[in-house]
Amino acid sequence: MTRVSTAHSYESGIATLQQRQRELTDAQQQLTSGKRISRLSDDPAASARAERAIAAVQRAEADQRAIEASRSAITQVEAAYGDANDLMEQARELLVAAGNPSYGATERKGIADRLAGLRAQLLQIANRGDGAGGYLFGGQGIAQAPFVDAVGGVQFVAPAGTQQAASDELLPLTTDGQRAWLAARSGNGVFKTAATTSTGSAWIDAGRVTQPGLLTGSPYSVQFTVGGAGTTYTVLQNGNPTALTNVAYQSGQAIQIDGMSFTVTGAPANGDRFDITPSASDLSVFDTFDGIVAALGNTSASATQVAQTVADGLRDIDASAATLSSRRADAGSWLNRIDDVDTRVAGQKLRAQGEQSNAEDLDMVHAISDFQLQQTGYDAALRAYSMVQRLSLFDYLGG
Amino acid sequence: MSASSLMSIGTRAMFANYAALQTTGHNIANASVDGYSRQQVQLQTANGQFSGAGFFGKGVDVQTVTRSFDQFLTREAVATRAQAAFDSTRLDKLSQLESLFAGGEQGLGFATGEFLNAMVDMASHPQDLAARQVVLGRAGELAARFSSASSQIDTIQTGVTMDLRSAVDRVNRIASDIASVNDRIAVARGSGHTPNDLLDLRDQLVSELGGYMEVTTIAADDGTLSVFVGGGQRLVLGAQSLKLDLSPDPYDATRMDLGIVETTGVRALPYSLIGSGSIGGLLRFQDDDLTTARNLIGRLASVVADGVNGQQALGLDLRVPPGSGAPLFGVSAPQALPASTNARTVGGNFVSTVGMTVTDATQLQASEYALAHNGTGWILTRLADGSAQTVVDGAIVDGFQIDLGTPAPALTDRFLLQPVARAAGGFRRVLDDPRGLAAASPVTADAGSANSGTASVGALRVVSPAVNPQNTATVTFTSGTGNYNWELRDRTTNALVSSGTGSWTAGQPIALNGFELDLAGVPASGDTFTVAKTLYPGSNNGNALALAGLRDALLVGRVDDGAGGLTGGLTFTDAWADAMSDIGVRAQGVKTSSEISTQVAAAAKEALSNRTGVNLDEEAARLMQYQQGYQAAAKVLQVAQSVFDTLLDAAGR
Repeated sequence: MTRVSTAHSYESGIATLQQRQRELTDAQQQLTSGKRISRLSDDPAASARAERAIAAVQRAEADQRAIEASRSAITQVEAAYGDANDLMEQARELLVAAGNPSYGATERKGIADRLAGLRAQLLQIANRGDGAGGYLFGGQGIAQAPFVDAVGGVQFVAPAGTQQAASDELLPLTTDGQRAWLAARSGNGVFKTAATTSTGSAWIDAGRVTQPGLLTGSPYSVQFTVGGAGTTYTVLQNGNPTALTNVAYQSGQAIQIDGMSFTVTGAPANGDRFDITPSASDLSVFDTFDGIVAALGNTSASATQVAQTVADGLRDIDASAATLSSRRADAGSWLNRIDDVDTRVAGQKLRAQGEQSNAEDLDMVHAISDFQLQQTGYDAALRAYSMVQRLSLFDYLGG
Repeated sequence: MSASSLMSIGTRAMFANYAALQTTGHNIANASVDGYSRQQVQLQTANGQFSGAGFFGKGVDVQTVTRSFDQFLTREAVATRAQAAFDSTRLDKLSQLESLFAGGEQGLGFATGEFLNAMVDMASHPQDLAARQVVLGRAGELAARFSSASSQIDTIQTGVTMDLRSAVDRVNRIASDIASVNDRIAVARGSGHTPNDLLDLRDQLVSELGGYMEVTTIAADDGTLSVFVGGGQRLVLGAQSLKLDLSPDPYDATRMDLGIVETTGVRALPYSLIGSGSIGGLLRFQDDDLTTARNLIGRLASVVADGVNGQQALGLDLRVPPGSGAPLFGVSAPQALPASTNARTVGGNFVSTVGMTVTDATQLQASEYALAHNGTGWILTRLADGSAQTVVDGAIVDGFQIDLGTPAPALTDRFLLQPVARAAGGFRRVLDDPRGLAAASPVTADAGSANSGTASVGALRVVSPAVNPQNTATVTFTSGTGNYNWELRDRTTNALVSSGTGSWTAGQPIALNGFELDLAGVPASGDTFTVAKTLYPGSNNGNALALAGLRDALLVGRVDDGAGGLTGGLTFTDAWADAMSDIGVRAQGVKTSSEISTQVAAAAKEALSNRTGVNLDEEAARLMQYQQGYQAAAKVLQVAQSVFDTLLDAAGR
């Protein structure tokens, strides 16, 4: 027969009630905080998981700041290209106007002055700051304006390349000024025509590629002879004669050799020479302007020289504008990419937050149901205690 | 057969029932006294008296008063109570400790993340002093968290020391009480009866002692009880008791060691011998849990400081002229603690000391080490896992170098090496100038403008302070399969410093002149890459990117793979999460075992209490029983008197 110790039955009854009360308080605390885990030991694995998720959220937020810095910089770069393109457009119109045969030296001088103004504006755009002490076209970082108006033309003095933001995917904070402003393709992109000696009234156009498969990449020169047989020309490749030797010249007729076609117009003098060289990526926006401004500002220029200036100038301005446009498109695609990265990082952050919530947040439905169960249990325990402990044999004895 | 015999029977019956009533009253009175055992009067039929007509009963005798007693259940209750006290004490302390390892925004991991993430903003705007100031602010916050974690550990240690002290005082008091009760019991036993209440008192004292430490008891023939602790050390023998002694650890005076004072000196009682009980729990917590926590935090502090300072030193700061970055954090140096018993000079100083230098913080382990001589060589034991190895002067183990010093330690000397334990305590920010943050890389890489391949500069990492920006490195690819020529030329004189050839494979960096260059894409023959001095360190963010990259660096707890390389390693975030798990799992495990052992102890106590405790209903019934017995005995007396009166009446006529 098992005896029951009265003192112990009271004690264990109270202990059980206290235990129930403690559980009820814990459940209430969970419900109030909304957290399943209030202490590390509640679930160490979930706590560690939540901690990693918090670090991932932190990381995503830092990434977003880096992305924002990159977006801000590239947006400004894109706007700068837009401004530059407007100016290039204006310059083109001015240059076309300068080719007007009815314009005299004074008008051309006026146009030259306005072009010089545009050049100054372009230089300012190229040296635009990012608002935080850096430069939009500052390459890998420079403490001063990256473009210097030096003797012999504008120079890029910053380290080439781009500066990266500290995001997980490499995003730029600057752009390479060299590539944007000083590295357009010269000539028509494949070869470059130039009037090396032009004492007559002839000028050469920019030329075009007719059969890309025949291109050799060698330098050519066209040499004119004016003599008894009329005007003839000879095309030399690398200084060596080609099939075009002593060909009769006709103004405006295309000269075709090795897949290239270019036109000399006007009356060349004896000994005039035009050179055709392969294009290089070294065309500077500023050098183009400098050349045009100098040529148009020359009041003693002949009509031929003006025509040559306009033809070369249009070619170079178009090439530079095309480069700036393509850089602008590049900036635009970077902005798209930044948006994509931003979306991805936001997605990562959301997932990490979900992970954190899964790890430590409370399932409310479950918790409320548990709480009510415990409440009922506690209520029942209190009733049972009060009923059982009221019983005593002494109550029934004599009296 | 006299008339008085009936009188005598009645008297004895009244006495017996009165005695039973008295004992029942005693039981009722002590029903709520902890440790009280129910007492019972043992009655015995008195031997009958022979007459010619057979044996006539002589009534009842009160033999003695016994107590309900169960030696097995009593022992069981003490042992389970000791285990429950061990678990609940350790749980209490671990609960304090686990709040130190809490995750979320108050945690150390979060502060580390915030600090390294601030590098991102410095990388975005390297010339912006505000971004740098934020980095310094976060660094200060991180330092404050580390040192506060360390001081909280110290506070917990102080609490443990105080708890131990009061527990030891109480144990000494109990031991002397048991000894004196033993003495009184031995005397009382001379009477031939058991001194029930004294026995209860002694059982209660032993039970209380069991709450402090695991005890073994052996009863002697004279009724005394000998008490043994710590795996066989006598604490009480008869009327004699010994004292426990709490003294500072011979190596680390902030910790306490337990010993027992014998005539020959103090004998140490390590926690492994103490076993259970709250003292066992406190010592276990101090020597295992708290030490682990200290080492985990200390190692993280060491690695963070070393990693950040190392990267900082590889960059250029914003001063004029720019210089290598000065350290950002300072930590307490590793320390080798000599045992207080080591050889000393006449002046009282230790004859020899052992030095320690951290050679590679990434290999540090969260452990302490014991250094002792075994007769043939110095043995270094990693206390976290017990792995031992022989070391000589200058040996490098787990990222630190041991300097046995001059003069060499005596063969009896012992040392406790703490490579990281104190690091967090001294963790502080030592850089106050935002310009001192080295955001710039000393060199920048660029791809040649005429390159025709798809390769671009993926990343340029400076990996050695030996990098010489005065030399410009040029890498020229000579084939489409990655063969390249490299040369280093002086950037001012253009004189060739050195040159050579190499072969690049995708994913492998090109290492030259203290830097590593990663290429993205594939280079074509004739492509060039140059790595040259950074011209404008004020605007360069190369090293800030590298500092932000520490978030992903596997710097914590790398181990030698035995082939000259390093393997393993965790990021700061993962290392912290692991540390959290370690302490959390301890707390969780102890919580579970505490729940179990508390229930087991309660069950054992219930079993004992149900056997030996007082049931008031039972006592009420007994009260009725003995009252009626007493009344019946009184009736016997009355009848005896009336019989006697009848006899007197008859005789008087």
